[in-house]
Amino acid sequence: MALARLILVTGKGGTGKSAVAAALALSLAQRRPTTLVDLDQRMWAARMLGVAAHDGNQASSRHGADATSKLDPIADLETISLSASAELEAFIERIVPIKAVARRMLQSRTFGYVSAALPGLEAFLMLERLRIIAGRAALEDRYAVVDAPATGSALELLAVPGALKRLAPIGTLNRLAANVESFLADATRFAVILTLTPQELALREALEASDVLRGRLNVSVAAAALNCVPSALFTRSDLDALEAPPGHPGCARLAQWRDGAGRIAARMRRDASRAGLGVVELPMLFSPALGRAELQELSRVLDAWLFPAPPGTAPRRAGKPPRAARPRAAKSR
Amino acid sequence: MIATHPAHGLLAGRLLVCLGPGGVGKTTVSAALALSAAMAGRRVDVMTVDPAPRLLDALGLGGVDAAEPRGVPLEGLAATQAINQAEGDAAGARRRPARPAGRLRALRLDPKRTFDAIVARHAPSPAAADAIMQNRIYRNLSQALAGVGDYMAMERLLELSEESTTNLVVLDTPPAREALDFLDAPRRLLDLLNSRAVTLLGGGMRRGFSVVDLAARAVLSAFDRLTGLHLLGDVQAFVRSFDGMYAGFAERAGRAQRLLVASDTAVVVVTTAEPERIAQAHEFLDALRAAGIEPRAVIINRTLPTIPSMGQIRRAPLGPALRRKLIRAAGEFAALRQREAAAIASLRAGGLPQLELAASPDLGREPIDLADLAWLGQSLEIL
Repeated sequence: MALARLILVTGKGGTGKSAVAAALALSLAQRRPTTLVDLDQRMWAARMLGVAAHDGNQASSRHGADATSKLDPIADLETISLSASAELEAFIERIVPIKAVARRMLQSRTFGYVSAALPGLEAFLMLERLRIIAGRAALEDRYAVVDAPATGSALELLAVPGALKRLAPIGTLNRLAANVESFLADATRFAVILTLTPQELALREALEASDVLRGRLNVSVAAAALNCVPSALFTRSDLDALEAPPGHPGCARLAQWRDGAGRIAARMRRDASRAGLGVVELPMLFSPALGRAELQELSRVLDAWLFPAPPGTAPRRAGKPPRAARPRAAKSR
Repeated sequence: MIATHPAHGLLAGRLLVCLGPGGVGKTTVSAALALSAAMAGRRVDVMTVDPAPRLLDALGLGGVDAAEPRGVPLEGLAATQAINQAEGDAAGARRRPARPAGRLRALRLDPKRTFDAIVARHAPSPAAADAIMQNRIYRNLSQALAGVGDYMAMERLLELSEESTTNLVVLDTPPAREALDFLDAPRRLLDLLNSRAVTLLGGGMRRGFSVVDLAARAVLSAFDRLTGLHLLGDVQAFVRSFDGMYAGFAERAGRAQRLLVASDTAVVVVTTAEPERIAQAHEFLDALRAAGIEPRAVIINRTLPTIPSMGQIRRAPLGPALRRKLIRAAGEFAALRQREAAAIASLRAGGLPQLELAASPDLGREPIDLADLAWLGQSLEIL
């Protein structure tokens, strides 16, 4: 599979976008230098990896793109936090040559209203920054992973160039927007991974998002990352034994809790592939915390999916999901 | 009866606002709380935003135009429970029967339609209303502009709260990136409409403009040059077209603001026990307090269910292989329980003086009917 230089990870809230983005960056960083890009200053993905200050504000400087930290000497991973306001500032400073004026302007309330009155500008500048990051990645043979906001906001963001083009049928803005749009449509430079968990709502949202991305926005969707899938523990006859009279309702509930998501996941995998959406399955990690060790486990699964061993070198069964990792909690007991 | 509900403090007021990060089940919690209050005899309206189709069905809003409040038949709920119990259904037995005495109405917010209605009502003439609705900015990007959707939720809220037949309004807020996106919406919209930007955007020079304003003008004209279109003209026309409507907007926004800080209003933050959501819940709490709104409670949704103890599993008359699996599953469960407990503890550590911390257990699936919502409402427990 040819991998896009920049991969944007989005999904329904609570499906583990940041964890997947962090694990993906971790696995890519084993192969090539990789940039983990954060769009909301909380730097949650980097914080989970332990490569960002706990206080998100510390990590973002006046210029978003300058807020670069390289704290992990093993994995070749850098983190960047972009912010819409920093991009806007950079833009203003480009077109207002006098620094002092530009600065005072940025502090004025009036300017706040004005920028609010230029809808889509900040979002557009963020995308323009992503285009530059992807361009640099191609030149330097790097990868970039973007921990994006939830599906709704991410789709709004990606729709901005199209909306701007419609607003400006000719002229410079139209050209700039077209530039960004062709970046987004270029599968070698840009692709989206949609995260979901074994819940019908998350699947529906992912399928809808995939339709919008591919159909309306002309964006390539690399895969759906089906997160938090427990490997099967109980067999059908186990469940029957728990339900047979006199029954063990508590134990049956435990078994149901443990394995229910796995059964839903199997169904979802079918539905997703029927809709033409490839699925990479990530194991449920039964661990007391979610930190770098756990993300490393996920990154190994992603690595096996991204860079399958060539046929003949390893006995890999094509088409089968990667085996779920052994639950950690079981070990710790 | 209401006093027996664990969350009675929240349900006794006139307004309950549910805020929280996306994906935590705000809509479900709002609906469950509204149903609890209605079952306890109150006359409740619940306003939902972007609900899941099944929840919509559960509330009787599926496939219908629900811009106006629609009654939710609570009698059906009592009947369902009776049937479940007659059949000895395990889930039914969990659901305590309740005689519906109150009333529940549900509606779904449609920001665009609400905005259109307000424009039509406040515009000085039908022609002026038309001019606004035909504006490119209004048509293309009015949603993105200064939180119009949030403002519309406020407008509807005000209308509902003024209805004499309703004594509690439960409000599910739009997914927000920042805590105050919603509460701040009226002020932001007013700021925009009232701003000097309007005159700056296209008007001639006036006295009193500072160097900053001149710079803003420079940026804007640079932008217009860059774009080569009359986007700014449209923005200006859009803002100007609200000229005569400003007073009406301001007055209503002020009332909405007062409603939010009233003593019989409860603002609750809904979250789940994942660390990222807890961190966001903290941000919401801090932002609310900074805005002078004391949040009444944090509701942690989808907490882990109760499972048998290790001892119970060991004593159960089961085969050794099955028992080993159950013990392993219980160990895995314990690890997640530990994760959850750490998250809840970190929420407590954030300093929650008068705050109630409540947990709403995971149903294990999407709620599909009123009985599910009733169960969720009844299962809410104060931590």
